[in-house]
Parts: sequence; structure tokens; C-alpha cells
Amino acid sequence: MLKEIAEYQARGEIDRVYHEIKQVLRVTGVDFPFRVWAGYGELLPVLWDAMRPNLETLAFEEAAGKLRAEGVRLAAELGNLDGLARVPLGESQAWQIRAALDLYHYINPKLLVMISAVRLAIEGERIGRAESRGEPLIELGIPEGMYPMEMVEEDSANPVISQTFDDIRRTLDLKKIGSDYRTLALWPHYLAPAWQRLKPIIQQAQHSQAAERMRRLSRELALALPLELPLSAQRIEAAGESARRALKLARQFEQILPGLILNMSLIALSWQPADALMISPFPAKTRRERVVISGGRA
Amino acid sequence: MNWREFQAMQKIARAGGRFISYIDEGASEPVVLLHGMAAWGYVWHRQIGPLSRTNRVLVPDLPGYGFSDKSDAFDRSLAAQAEFIAQWMDGLGIPSATLVGNGTGGGIALRMAVLMPDRVARLCLMNCACYDNFPGEDIVEISAPEVYRRVDAAGLIEVMEGILKLEVAAHDLHVLEALLAPYTTEVGKLSLIRNASALNTNHTTELTPRLPRLNVPALVIWGADDRAASVAYGRRLARDIPGAQLQVVPHAGHFVMLDKPGETLGYLAVFLNTPPAAMAA
Repeated sequence: MLKEIAEYQARGEIDRVYHEIKQVLRVTGVDFPFRVWAGYGELLPVLWDAMRPNLETLAFEEAAGKLRAEGVRLAAELGNLDGLARVPLGESQAWQIRAALDLYHYINPKLLVMISAVRLAIEGERIGRAESRGEPLIELGIPEGMYPMEMVEEDSANPVISQTFDDIRRTLDLKKIGSDYRTLALWPHYLAPAWQRLKPIIQQAQHSQAAERMRRLSRELALALPLELPLSAQRIEAAGESARRALKLARQFEQILPGLILNMSLIALSWQPADALMISPFPAKTRRERVVISGGRA
Repeated sequence: MNWREFQAMQKIARAGGRFISYIDEGASEPVVLLHGMAAWGYVWHRQIGPLSRTNRVLVPDLPGYGFSDKSDAFDRSLAAQAEFIAQWMDGLGIPSATLVGNGTGGGIALRMAVLMPDRVARLCLMNCACYDNFPGEDIVEISAPEVYRRVDAAGLIEVMEGILKLEVAAHDLHVLEALLAPYTTEVGKLSLIRNASALNTNHTTELTPRLPRLNVPALVIWGADDRAASVAYGRRLARDIPGAQLQVVPHAGHFVMLDKPGETLGYLAVFLNTPPAAMAA
């Protein structure tokens, strides 16, 4: 069983990294891969401090943008969630679901590029250039109006939620439910029909092929990140953590995330046209100088 | 009406950079019902239907509460909430309305009546935050930021259930569950803590010298069994606000509109239908 550290459970170094994750990745909450990495002592600080310089670059934001747009394009080819737009929702509920989808539509491609970079680095690939001064950086901080990463607990007593979560676990062979589905579970009578319409698409071979294309693109984008990534199996071992476990987790996340991006894009496509979804819901501005927002150890 | 049905009726608006979920039912003169701490718009569910037969009834979840914006990035003080409500009314094209407030919602209504008198056509305060009668010790206890790290959401809900059971005389478990439903997640828990830590007595004590100069038809309804804010505060308000009427409701606690919905509605209906001149008389 994967153990997670929730945001409220974070202390010391994990608390420091969780704060930086939200500021640097420009997101309202700490997503699943980080919460799992945090469960293994020094692993999260080691990975984060190595990755952080690249994550602050405009090049990383643009790489995620390319992956996001490709996800929308591939999802649109997979089909559509017939009838989902007709699920009865109140005005506020509909607005909030769309806002929640924007949150994950923004962050998921960033997570995938980052995880691909971590995986490749542990496998011995060289990422980035040693000399890369003057790389454009993005403004840090959570974008105004981004929906909070609010999630229903996995062991919810609500029968609609628990049945849907059980089916998601079985169908996707997951040990844990990701943040995306747990957020959509805030509106169980939307999540349930959305999942029922997603499920047959997920089970098609084309979905797996599209996910594999996303994975390959993510690795290409990760290899092209601008700054040298000071991460290796040796560095992880030197911090007292298991490089083998880190690699296993990175491979698991890289396996899960492409399908998740496609699935959230499929749901989002029932709200917005593909053209609109190909644009980042939270475009980043560039900043002139590097700003240190807390005491990293990289 | 259960809380999910109530949630499905909510509309959406933006005010002061935050999103606000709200009910908007009926037509004619607008009445805004403001909830307090440890609650959300649902606390008025028994009043909305009957009142909407004669008035336009608007019931916002205050930012930080219920199904409005619960992001951890803004001021939730009574002063800020009064500004949010004024901006929300602007967005809906409502220059002025009857404000009805319970608990800290009453404190917000009182602030608006004193500081934005043009926005308040009539004022009804129900077991409200005023003078220095809040925050109660139990709310102060959950307001420490470190509470966030000590307990999970389920733990805080348990604490809040204990507090609410003392406040809601009727002990309707479905209502208690409904009032706490938006706060069962970690984001909801943190929002509740931030709401508690935003409560500042200065935001009502600074109004006290100006209460005798208020020029608005006012009704004070007070559940006699409120253990945190005794009826003495209701009496004091009724004396300080010129022309204010006081109705003390026996066998009702802090959430007087939940404990005695019929009586509360009756007093409100008379208040809303009485011309201001007749009230002054």
C-alpha cells in the first residue's frame, strides 16, 4: 500500500517542499505523486530540489503546454462523452466542475513532464545543459481564481462515490484514487455518469495507444528541458533513499498520468471546444530575475 | 429539502476576486439572508420558500463558507465580508436590500447598516455578533492555525458537531450533518479554521458608538437559550438602535430560525410588510 503525506500532515522539510510546490508549479494543492514521494523520508526533498530550477523556466511551462494541446487533440479523436452535458447540474455546480477541470487540465501535463524527467535522470539520461544562463523564468505564485484542490476522502461513506471509486480502482488497476477523481467526487452525481461514459473509451486499444504517444512526447519534452538536472540514482542513494524505489514510483506515475490527462481532457471537451482547451487556462508571465522563495538545499 | 438539493439550486457570481454561490428566489423587494460561523446558506432553508412568495430572497454562502470560494488566499474578516456582500449586490444590480443576519452574518449586516447605510433598506438581526459577544471560546479554540496540523477533517467535524449540538436546540441530526457537509474535506477544514481565525471583536466594537445614530427600520430576534450570546445582547441592541423592535423567542438557541422557523418567519413577515413610518410609530 502506498503511503501518502497529506498537506496537513507535512512537517519540516516536507512542509517546506509542499509550500514550494504550490508556489513554483502555480497550483492550489499538492498532487498525488508528491504526496507519495513524501512518504519516503528524504526522497521528495531530493527530487524536488533537483527539479525545481527547471520547473521555474518558461521552457518547462511551454513543454507542458505542448503536452496539454496534444492531450486535447488525442482525446478529441477518442470520441466524446455522449449525454454528459445533459446531466442536471445547478449553475454553481456546473461552474465549479469546470473550474476544477481547469485546475487539473493545467497541472497534469506539468506533472507528467516533470515525472518523465525524473525517470530519465534516474535511468542515467542526461537532461539539460550545464551552461544555461539567462533562461527565461516564469512568475511564481498561485494564479488568481484557480479552484482549490479540494478532494473527497477515498473511504467516503457516500455509496455513489464508493461504488464509483471501486470501479475506477478495478478498471484502471489502481491502488489509490488520484486527486482528479477525488475532486470530481465533490459532485458525485456528475462523477458517476462521467465515469460510466469514460470507461468504455478507456477500455479501447486506441486509448492505450494515445496514452503511449503522450508518454513518448513527455519524454522528448523532458529531455529538451533547458537546465542541467542534477539527479541520478547515485544522488538518491547518497541521500539514504532507494533509487530502485524512486524509479519504480516514477515509472508507475508515468504509466498512470497520460491516461488521466486524456480522461480529464475528454470530460473537459464536454464543456469547451478543443481549440479553447489547447490554450493554458492559467498562462504564466515571465519574470526578469531569479527569486528565492524559501531555503532550498539544491 | 436536503443539502444536496439546496446546493443544486445555487447560482454563481464573482465579487472581490472570489466566487460566491447563492440562492436567488422570488421577486419584488430584495431580502438578503446572511449566515454565520459554522454554517452556510442552508441554515435558512426553512425561510426561503415562504419568504420568496412576497420578496426576492437572496442567500449567499459567504466567501470561505459552504460552496463559495474556499481557497486559502483572502481575508474573511467581518470587514472584508461586508465588502464582498456589497460588491456581490452591485453585481446583481441591487442598490439596497433588507439584510437579515444570524451570528457573524448579523455582524456583517450591522457593519453594512452602520458603514454603508445606503445599501440597507431594513435590518433584522438574529442572535448576532455584536459588541464583544464573539468569538466564543470554542471558536477561539479551533481558530489557532496549528489546529490544521493537529487534527484531520473528520476530527474537526467531530468537534464542530459537539459545538453545534449545544447551539441547535432541536438537535436535528440531518440539519447538523447538512451544516457541516461543506467542511468535511481537508480544504473545508482549513477554510473553517481560517473563518474562525478571521473573527475579530474590533469589527463590531468599533460600531458601538454609532449604533444610536442608525436610521434604518430594525428588528432584533433573539433565541432565549443561546448559550454563547445571551439575550442581554439582544436587549442592548434594541435599546441602542433607534426604533428597533425586540422579539425574544423562548426555547430557541443561537440558530433561532432553525429552532423556531414558524415564529421567526412570522416576525420577519410582519417586519417586511410594515411600512417604515408605522414601525417608527
